[in-house]
Amino acid sequence: MTNASHEVAKGPHHASGAAPSALSAHSIVKRFPGVLANDSVDFDVLPGEVHTLLGENGAGKSTLAAMLCGLYQPDTGYITRNGERIALSSPRAGLQHGIAMVHQHFRLVERFTVAENVILGSRDLSYKLNRSELEDKVAAVAESYGLPIEPGATVGDLSVGQRQRVEIVKALYQGAEILLLDEPTAVLVPAEVEKLFENVHAMTKAGKSIVFISHKLGEVVEISDRVTVLRNGRVTGHVSGRGTADTKELARLMVGRDIELTTQRASHATGHEILQIRDLSLTVGGVNVLSDISFNVHAGEMVGIAGVAGNGQRELADTIAGLMSPTSGSISISGSMTTDRGPIHARELGLAYVPEDRLGMGLVPSMSILDNLLLTRDRRVVVDRTTVRPEATRLIEQFEIKANGPDHMARKLSGGNAQKVLLARELSGGRTATKLLVVCSPTRGLDVGAIETVRALLDDARSAGQAILLISEDLDEVMSLSDRIFVLYRGSVVHETPGESAQLATVGAAMAGLKPEGKS
Amino acid sequence: MRSPIRIVFEQRSETPKHLSVLVPLLSVVAALVVGALFLLATGYSPLETYSNMLSDGFTSSRGITDTLGLSTVLICTGISAAFAFQMNLYNIGGEGQLYLGMIGGAWAGLALGNQLPTFVMIPVVLLVGALAGASWILLPAFVRSRLGTSEIVTTLLLTYIAASLVKHFVYSPGSFFVTKNSAFPQGRLVPDSASLSGIGDTSLYPTFFLVILIALVLFWVVKKTEYGYRIQVISDSPRAAHYAGINANRTTMSVMLISGALSGLGGAVLIIGPFGRLDPGIILLGYGYAGIVIAALARNNFSAIIVSGILFAGLRSGGDKLQISTDTPIHIGVMLQGAILLFALGGEAFRRYHIHAVRTERATQ
Ligand SMILES: Nc1ncnc2c1ncn2[C@@H]1O[C@H](COP(=O)(O)OP(=O)(O)OP(=O)(O)O)[C@@H](O)[C@H]1O
Ligand SMILES: [Mg+2]
Repeated sequence: MTNASHEVAKGPHHASGAAPSALSAHSIVKRFPGVLANDSVDFDVLPGEVHTLLGENGAGKSTLAAMLCGLYQPDTGYITRNGERIALSSPRAGLQHGIAMVHQHFRLVERFTVAENVILGSRDLSYKLNRSELEDKVAAVAESYGLPIEPGATVGDLSVGQRQRVEIVKALYQGAEILLLDEPTAVLVPAEVEKLFENVHAMTKAGKSIVFISHKLGEVVEISDRVTVLRNGRVTGHVSGRGTADTKELARLMVGRDIELTTQRASHATGHEILQIRDLSLTVGGVNVLSDISFNVHAGEMVGIAGVAGNGQRELADTIAGLMSPTSGSISISGSMTTDRGPIHARELGLAYVPEDRLGMGLVPSMSILDNLLLTRDRRVVVDRTTVRPEATRLIEQFEIKANGPDHMARKLSGGNAQKVLLARELSGGRTATKLLVVCSPTRGLDVGAIETVRALLDDARSAGQAILLISEDLDEVMSLSDRIFVLYRGSVVHETPGESAQLATVGAAMAGLKPEGKS
Repeated sequence: MRSPIRIVFEQRSETPKHLSVLVPLLSVVAALVVGALFLLATGYSPLETYSNMLSDGFTSSRGITDTLGLSTVLICTGISAAFAFQMNLYNIGGEGQLYLGMIGGAWAGLALGNQLPTFVMIPVVLLVGALAGASWILLPAFVRSRLGTSEIVTTLLLTYIAASLVKHFVYSPGSFFVTKNSAFPQGRLVPDSASLSGIGDTSLYPTFFLVILIALVLFWVVKKTEYGYRIQVISDSPRAAHYAGINANRTTMSVMLISGALSGLGGAVLIIGPFGRLDPGIILLGYGYAGIVIAALARNNFSAIIVSGILFAGLRSGGDKLQISTDTPIHIGVMLQGAILLFALGGEAFRRYHIHAVRTERATQ
């Protein structure tokens, strides 16, 4: 063991025979109880390149990235940096070799300022912190890569996109040469994605390497120099050269068949009103989060709410689900008032709710899939797990959840598989037959195959007469599924249009707060 | 030149099962080693001391019944601590709640004992003791669940007040709890109907079996019932609890009250036997504080608390007897208790991290 770690192995250099790869993995194997997460994986990234890892949910992308940054250790196989073999026993060791990862779930201290978060974990701090000097240093690093952040701001007050920027600045501040970005765009709105890609270009220009993970094929085509496809822990394909792949080809490489994400709308006339919202307003800490919102959702209809994150979508969903009390106005489900009556009452009237936030709100990380299925159901005094177990097994199969069975802990699922568990629970009915389904970003983090499945399920639910409220920042999704679309801007509905005749430009403009012309 | 060795902490993605048993066991062993060093340093033979403790605590038949007898109250305070700890509620005032249980139990025995038969009185004494224990945590529970005030501070402060209360009831002249006209202030013995005798004239009382039963029931409640499910959701992710419509305030309140009641039950158990009276000597014994260690060693697992409670009782009763029979340093048992807590908490690092030594690589070949 000790001997082995001393020998300097020359890794197989990149085919061209040019500069050694900045970082490579050689025949990496990583096993978790019951799964082979990485099976003899070879992977390398060159200086100044963007190399994308692509693959289905649970294919082993995050696991590979975690080993490349020192968070996990491979069972067998090894890692080389500039051709020299290195042992990464911890993320700190990774940092010492200039490798840093921005995780799917951020790891920032919300109560600290940006600068404090950035320097957290640095070893060369003096006993007494000189705050303003540090803030200047942090700001300088940020600016040199075109990443505007305010070092004195409290992280808890920042948007998701800003927090991500803090994570990236932190990595750069600590001297990262290789940056692993695990699904960085899943939580960003299009404008933020553009900004991120500009940053990525600035970093690669400076000779840094990026390992990029994403399910959004369009982005992958746009940003990648090379793509490596993983499937069930094995490398199953390579595409190299910028712009040589198209999204169709990538999808085929990933799931082994063609994926057709089609437009679906209500096939028959919609029924009576299920959800009624009247003059709904919500003020939180003196700020008007929602103002005077009124609309209905009918049985067999899907209403889409479009908007840039932070314009009141989450609060609207939480209020409908009975988690928040509106300041004024009313909500009723199937004709019964639910205002101020709590989440259980709403569920008893037929509500199902997929929240924005999956691990920690929609799912309990330390509980099994089985127990998580019970979270929104009637559990009786003595929890009856035996009768739910077969259903759990069935749902795991139906949603193609990669897990060791119903007892698999939610925390140990891959990001996309956790999302599938949440969808499985909420789409399969709970206390009573579902009448109203409120779903936030249902396909976030899912691979294209799973997106197809979930969209089909949503369509089935609509055909079965459920009323669906789809809240998503993914404008494509809202536009291609909804029968009617509302645009939420600063807590108000600023635009309304039938799904069929919706114009991307008009909806986009409304989302940005510009008054669409032609409509008063 | 040899390269320097560095200790590396590597976070485990999964805790191996055997460590959950090994770590507590090794904590006990490590504590015994530290105790041995102290004994050696002060000129005693660790081997002799430990073998005396072992025979007094675990191997002689008298020793075994004494140990099980003492474990009765320790298991009570252990499950009391664990019940709150599992929901990240740090009730460290089990000691004070125990005193209240003793006061309540003694009061019930003295006030009602002459009118009611044993089979009614025993449950009454236990119930009143448990209620008194719960009453002592009512305020901390209320401010914690409503205002989020730290229960650590409030429960601890109330322990000091409870100790004063015990002294007040015993030392103030004419108190209901003491023998009238006695030259020496002493708690009044409860009537026979409110106490039991040891099984076969030992210090093991039937309450032991009741307490074991309660620990097993709690084990089941936490694992199998809706109430246990709720506790797990709240302790892991309060936002998920909110999402699912679980009332965290109410559960916080009830968990703390039950925790207090269990410590109170421990106090009442002492009234039924062996104390039989309100005795200020309880203040020096620290049975409530011991419960914290017992719960930590068992990692809040209710069936494991039965084992760690008995283990502790053995160390304590073995240690206590040493003080009487030989001239070994007093409080070796209590010292071991402290050492075990330190090692058990330190041992968590081994469960959470894979700790190993690596040679740092040489910069050049
Ligand atoms: N800590 C763990 N314990 C047990 N199994 C794990 C653990 N982490 C990951 N796995 C399993 O390993 C497999 C690969 O997971 P990984 O997170 O690498 O997938 P992924 O490719 O990142 O997927 P996604 O696109 O859904 O994020 C999955 O089947 C997952 O259940
Ligand atoms: Mg992942």
